Amino acid sequence: MNTHITPLTTPTEARIQDIGSAEILVGIPSYNNADTVGHVVRAVSVGLAKHFPGHRAVLVNSDGGSSDGTPAIVARTVVDFQHLFIGDQQSILHRIITPYHGIPGKGSAFRTIFEIARRLKARACAVVDADLRSISPEWIELLLRPIMEGGYDYVAPYYLRHKYDGTITNSLAYPLTRALYGQRIRQPIGGEFGFSGALAAHYLDQHVWESEVARFGIDIWMTTEAIASGARVCQSFLGAKIHNSKDPAADLSAMLMQVVGALFASMEQHESIWSPREGSQPVPLFGFPYEVGVEPIHVNVERMVSHYRQGLTDLEPIWRRILADDTFTQLRGLQGPSNTDCRIPDELWVQVVYDAATAYHQQVMPREHLLKALTPLYLGRTASFVHATQGLTSTEAEQKIEALCQTFERMKPYLVERWQPQALQPAAPALLHHTTTDAGGEHE
Amino acid sequence: MNDFINQALLEPLKLLGRHMLTVLPNVLAMGIILLGGMFTAWALGSFVERLFRVIGFDHLCNRLGMNAALLRGGVKTDPSRLVGRAIYWTVIVLASIAALGALNLTPINKFAQSLLAYVPHMVTAAVILLAGYFLSNFASQAVLIAAVNAGLPPARLIAACSRWGLQILAGAMALEQLGIAEHIVVVGFGITWGGIVLAGAIAFGLGAADLAKEFLERRLVARSKSSTVDDLRHL
Repeated sequence: MNTHITPLTTPTEARIQDIGSAEILVGIPSYNNADTVGHVVRAVSVGLAKHFPGHRAVLVNSDGGSSDGTPAIVARTVVDFQHLFIGDQQSILHRIITPYHGIPGKGSAFRTIFEIARRLKARACAVVDADLRSISPEWIELLLRPIMEGGYDYVAPYYLRHKYDGTITNSLAYPLTRALYGQRIRQPIGGEFGFSGALAAHYLDQHVWESEVARFGIDIWMTTEAIASGARVCQSFLGAKIHNSKDPAADLSAMLMQVVGALFASMEQHESIWSPREGSQPVPLFGFPYEVGVEPIHVNVERMVSHYRQGLTDLEPIWRRILADDTFTQLRGLQGPSNTDCRIPDELWVQVVYDAATAYHQQVMPREHLLKALTPLYLGRTASFVHATQGLTSTEAEQKIEALCQTFERMKPYLVERWQPQALQPAAPALLHHTTTDAGGEHE
Repeated sequence: MNDFINQALLEPLKLLGRHMLTVLPNVLAMGIILLGGMFTAWALGSFVERLFRVIGFDHLCNRLGMNAALLRGGVKTDPSRLVGRAIYWTVIVLASIAALGALNLTPINKFAQSLLAYVPHMVTAAVILLAGYFLSNFASQAVLIAAVNAGLPPARLIAACSRWGLQILAGAMALEQLGIAEHIVVVGFGITWGGIVLAGAIAFGLGAADLAKEFLERRLVARSKSSTVDDLRHL
């Protein structure tokens, strides 16, 4: 395996020399998160002191050049352990606060965290976003203990979210990942993850750090790469996720391009792994699931439908090159009289996604154009989902998502047929030491 | 009588014969050069055509929208064949110029030299036109997608303007390269472009003042019209 060294700053190198090694590493990528990062650091510190008191641990803040003093807050945040009834804090939590190199984005911040984990020979790692408001010390245990004691390589988060929170996840990332790789990871782009040191080293060795993975594509890439490399994966129930909105400068089409681009690129890389897989298996879930109230979300359906309709008219020549004739004809046939009406059924949405993946693979046009041209389609589908789930409870909305996932799985032969006419030879994953995840119950 | 025959008939014939003997090698050389040029043109054209097919040039052109544009223009030949034919005819023209030069006649030599000196300009102009065409297609597609994603109603108009703007710019540069009405082209292009920008600015200022105000407010001031946006979280 090739080993690629990620450049670190001289003070960071010196700090790593001082620390020497660590068993646990928790990374916090940040960019102008002064409002929330103090709370996140406190939660991490308490979580480590409470649940892993005897382990040598390091907190790494990988910052993208914040101008609001985020790194300074990370450095000076202290926790009064006495008031939290933690008396047996056995080791000091080391902190490394470092800027990252490379393309500005979350992925580049993670790369620096992975590199520090490798240098410190960390056994178990976790990453948590710096914009979290609902993080508690228990999150740290839930993300790390399956690695430390369960023999897992990758822990994905499992949140309670509003039915309109995470629409890219619900309409695309979750159903597609599940149908492709056969693993039901509900939040593949959750933002908080636990992973083994071996998996961190594997991530570092991939040549993806100049692509969409360096930005918002990192989350979906980490999940798909973990499954494809044969890592043992599980989920941990973390409760509600309440966080500040993502980088306001990042517009939807760029965000969608980064996530979907990373997903489609992974499909190209791992086609021999996903193409023969059929159906899906539940992934073990740790933690104690409970119901909790979530923040209501205001949705402007009219605006989304307007975008979709404009796309249908103005982007017709481009969509015709991306989509199969039948798919485009069906989309055309859906136009209703009302301005706020848009009902893209599950089957048609699946066809759209599979056609787009195939067009990406066959490079029918510059890939950036292709991915960005999907934005109105995604908004049309999101509007359809909102229409279909208005007045439904979160559980009922979840059933709709489950139905969509089953449609993705049922129609997978359509993708395989369009992707590559000739049969593919299945290849066994061989990057990590484990075989694929054990099929188990949904809850452990 | 013999003198008359010698002077009036045989001398001109001898003179003609001497002339013919002087020119004949040149004509022969011209024929050889022409034949050699035709063979080279055929061989090189076929080779380039096959090479382009092997490296997937047709597929690349298809992705860039070149094939569709050719079809729209009534050209049903694929791009590899077109390049092969272009090479063929270029070699034929060069061989013809070289063949004419072989005659060693002063006016023809001058003509051939001036034609040869013009060839680099023609090649440069062709490259500029091709690059302009590809760039304008790429840019207009990017502009169209960005405008639709931004929800701008005249998305297609904006994309068409960017396409034609770039193609006109490429055309003006190509004409300048060919030396055709250099100053008129540059001045004409400057006046046209300046006029378009000025007209656009005036039209925007008069007709879309509210839109501009709203845009600047959105950019510079915190969003006030919360009813028009939503707080949907996509990730």
